[in-house]
Amino acid sequence: MLLDFQRLGWWKYALLAISLLTAAFLLLPILFIAALSFGSSQWLIFPPPGWTLKWYADFFADPRWLQSAWTSFQIAAIVTVLSVLLGLVTSFGLVRGKFLFRETLRALFLTPMILPVVVLAVGLYAFFLQIGLNGTMLGFVIAHLVLALPFSILSIGKALEGFDKSIEDAAVLCGASPLEAKIRVTLPAISHGLFSAAIFSFLTSWDEVVVAIFMSSPTLQTLPVKVWATLRQDLTPVVAAASTLLILLTVILMALFALVRKGLKS
Amino acid sequence: MTEPFLQIQGIRKAYGPVVAVENVDLQVRRGEFLTFLGPSGSGKSTTLYILAGFEDPTAGNILLDGRSLLSIPSHKRNIGMVFQRYTLFPHLSVGENIAFPLKVRRLPKAEVDAKVKEMLRLVRLEGFEDRRPAQMSGGQQQRVALARALAYDPPLLLMDEPLSALDKKLREEIQYEIRRIHQQTEVTILYVTHDQEEALRLSDRIAVFSKGIIDQIGTGPELYSNPQTRFVAEFIGDSDFLPCKVLSASDGHATISLGDGRALDRIPLHGFASAGGKAALMLRPERLRLARISGENAGIAATVSDITFLGNNIHVSTTTDDGALVSVRLPFGHEAIAGLNRGDRVQLTFDAGSAHVFC
Repeated sequence: MLLDFQRLGWWKYALLAISLLTAAFLLLPILFIAALSFGSSQWLIFPPPGWTLKWYADFFADPRWLQSAWTSFQIAAIVTVLSVLLGLVTSFGLVRGKFLFRETLRALFLTPMILPVVVLAVGLYAFFLQIGLNGTMLGFVIAHLVLALPFSILSIGKALEGFDKSIEDAAVLCGASPLEAKIRVTLPAISHGLFSAAIFSFLTSWDEVVVAIFMSSPTLQTLPVKVWATLRQDLTPVVAAASTLLILLTVILMALFALVRKGLKS
Repeated sequence: MTEPFLQIQGIRKAYGPVVAVENVDLQVRRGEFLTFLGPSGSGKSTTLYILAGFEDPTAGNILLDGRSLLSIPSHKRNIGMVFQRYTLFPHLSVGENIAFPLKVRRLPKAEVDAKVKEMLRLVRLEGFEDRRPAQMSGGQQQRVALARALAYDPPLLLMDEPLSALDKKLREEIQYEIRRIHQQTEVTILYVTHDQEEALRLSDRIAVFSKGIIDQIGTGPELYSNPQTRFVAEFIGDSDFLPCKVLSASDGHATISLGDGRALDRIPLHGFASAGGKAALMLRPERLRLARISGENAGIAATVSDITFLGNNIHVSTTTDDGALVSVRLPFGHEAIAGLNRGDRVQLTFDAGSAHVFC
């Protein structure tokens, strides 16, 4: 190999130092927040003068925090289901279909990924004002679905491209109807793609804040919106506790993702 | 005469202006092993896919046991198929793969289990039912695919180059397995391959495909000894062609003259000959005799350009005085080869009946 790690000499250590610095740069703010959430200072002093679980107790004692977390979870769960289902049928069309402008259509489906989120949020806000969807669960779900669907289409489409259609054909010749063959053979074979789609869809909705701020109303708020609003009104370490819980769920989901993916591969 | 088991009648398949298959007519007996042989793009796989129901023909009909297949969807045709690529269901074990068509047909569990056992025995993979496809070699996977395709006792089995992904030695091994299984089950098999040796080894009859049409149908020996077109002659067995001129033709035979002006009489003729027209004389390397020129030359004069030892055969490449390349194959130790060297002058002779003229 041109760049053999073993033959880099002292560059090896430089590389190691750069990697460690990058990792620290990425991870330290998160660790910082987690540390503050256990700190006893109400003014978020660092290093914390003492340790406490008070902010977590406050979080769980406040129905507004719990309500927003529950709202977030509901929206993310519905978005996940819809995103995987829509992503599945869209991927079948984009991968198996033979029609004009297929690649253009594929690019179109992926535009929410590259479009500035705030532009999308303003557009959705203006549109939903017209049809009265602002501040509703449905509005939230549709808005987050727009953001999540590209991830589903990417991961399911990739899994479907890697799946040899002859296998499905074999199932059909074995006597399974085309639909039965898809359900009993194709779906299990691309389950890793479905699973990635589900995880990424959930996370896209779960920690989304920009679109959510536009969609929310005083009575309907997601957890990230609540964090943001609380930060602006009164700076309390409960925000750090809420953020840490958000991160924790994300980490758990990613770990689960890695585990299941490993299981599905073997 | 009873009606043939499978009748393919005037099948044509066109994709827009591109014709993939043109006017394919075939009759297959029950229990026959028929191979579609031809290069890629010759329409053999398309014909097979039309039989499977994955493609609809533009024109023509297919009758199985007197009933048209065309209006029946693939999953109700009850046809078995082994594909070129590995198509075992990756998330199911070997046993579950073989059981799949039976479970789809909602057979009782005891019957399914018994059939899976029987099929594993048929392809000699007893004890493999709990393996995953990914844990098996390509040859084993194709044998499981064969077991799965035969599990529901289909009257017709389609095989689309099932061995092309395997190496040569394994391929031969599984060819014998397929032959044995064919004899044991008496299932009618349509087999697609581009490998003439495979076709000759397996088939009762071979249909040679070229550019979307069937050039000739016959047993291996028929195609070898009496090819109807130059394409068939080139595809079945080895052959060399010499340019020649037709002097006269009658009764399926021709009198021709070669470049050196000498005339050859009563050579089997194919195609429309006109007196004085250009044609090609086909010679088989194993049907040629070779001798050193001593005194008068009684055959085609040539110069030895190379001698290759091929185990039980010696391959002698020669160049005729007209510049055409002609190969001669002789058994190892043949007297004509003793002391033969590159650059030696030789004469090539043959029986008129072993050569063919194509116009």
